[in-house]
Amino acid sequence: MTEKRPDYLPEHIRETLIHDPRVAEQDLRVEVKEHRVMLGGNVATPQLRQTITEVASELLPGYEIVNETTVVPAAEPDGEEPVS
Amino acid sequence: MIRIAAVGDLHYGAGSQDILRPSLQHLPDRADILLLAGDLTRCGGPEEVRVLADQVRGLPIPVVAVLGNHDYHADREDDVRRVLEGAGVKVLEGDAVALDVDGVRVGIAGTKGFGGGFRGAHGSDFGEPEMKAFVGHTKMLSDRLEQALEELEADLRIALLHYSPIEATLEGERLEIYPFLGSYLMAEAVDNAGADLLLHGHAHHGVEKGRTPAGIPVRNVAQPVIRHAYNVYTLNAHRQVLPAAAGGIS
Repeated sequence: MTEKRPDYLPEHIRETLIHDPRVAEQDLRVEVKEHRVMLGGNVATPQLRQTITEVASELLPGYEIVNETTVVPAAEPDGEEPVS
Repeated sequence: MIRIAAVGDLHYGAGSQDILRPSLQHLPDRADILLLAGDLTRCGGPEEVRVLADQVRGLPIPVVAVLGNHDYHADREDDVRRVLEGAGVKVLEGDAVALDVDGVRVGIAGTKGFGGGFRGAHGSDFGEPEMKAFVGHTKMLSDRLEQALEELEADLRIALLHYSPIEATLEGERLEIYPFLGSYLMAEAVDNAGADLLLHGHAHHGVEKGRTPAGIPVRNVAQPVIRHAYNVYTLNAHRQVLPAAAGGIS
């Protein structure tokens, strides 16, 4: 990737994660400090979480990727809610 | 009592194809209808939704869906719709379906919906053609939703959306993106026509529960919000919320 000004680098990473079809996540938080990229937010599966790290690493090979995203649980609900 | 299972934002794609599957075995024992509130795919590819279609094919309960913004990304929304319909899923966009559940007629009107914002801060179809197109799209879909609900003859009526119709279920989202998360025009449409329940997705960082200004219950069933494979809502057939008395511009 073309060297980006540090002020805009997080947004470029976020855009890449939205448009890369392996990820296509619009709700990830991205922070960059020095040569460390911190990623946060919710993801659907452990596989997707791993893919996000891989895509970020491809984009910024010289950076440490700290993936703090969490996998959302998807078990069956415990009960039901009466709404009327 | 009618049991409605609902979830949105499943985002089926590589690596996320098993969100619903483990729960489908018990679903027919727990719900009478399954509603899918859009964003069924990650990038709008028919191959992405085929996995979901194969999983719900043959379920003994009806499955009704609307598409979401992700399902339009590849410009193949018609193909996505066809794959779902091939598996027996009823896909709504500005129209409605009425289902007989143990003698109760359950009507569902659906639309993807769109953005624009909320009361006091909604965009207007004024100025550049792009702005007119943006807000005009929301107005068109809201008008169709209202008409579909009004024409629906049913004991229970449910509105199924992807975008949010109210601000309350967006709490937790950044204020700056509210205009891209929904529009009050859809709540107004549902309040005008009346309904028992309004379901939507799209707002991953929002909250589950809210109400329209007329008091209709709203539930944000985006999977990252409900944090289950689906949620189940029960409705009694004889307590429909009627349209609010007209007190303003008609």
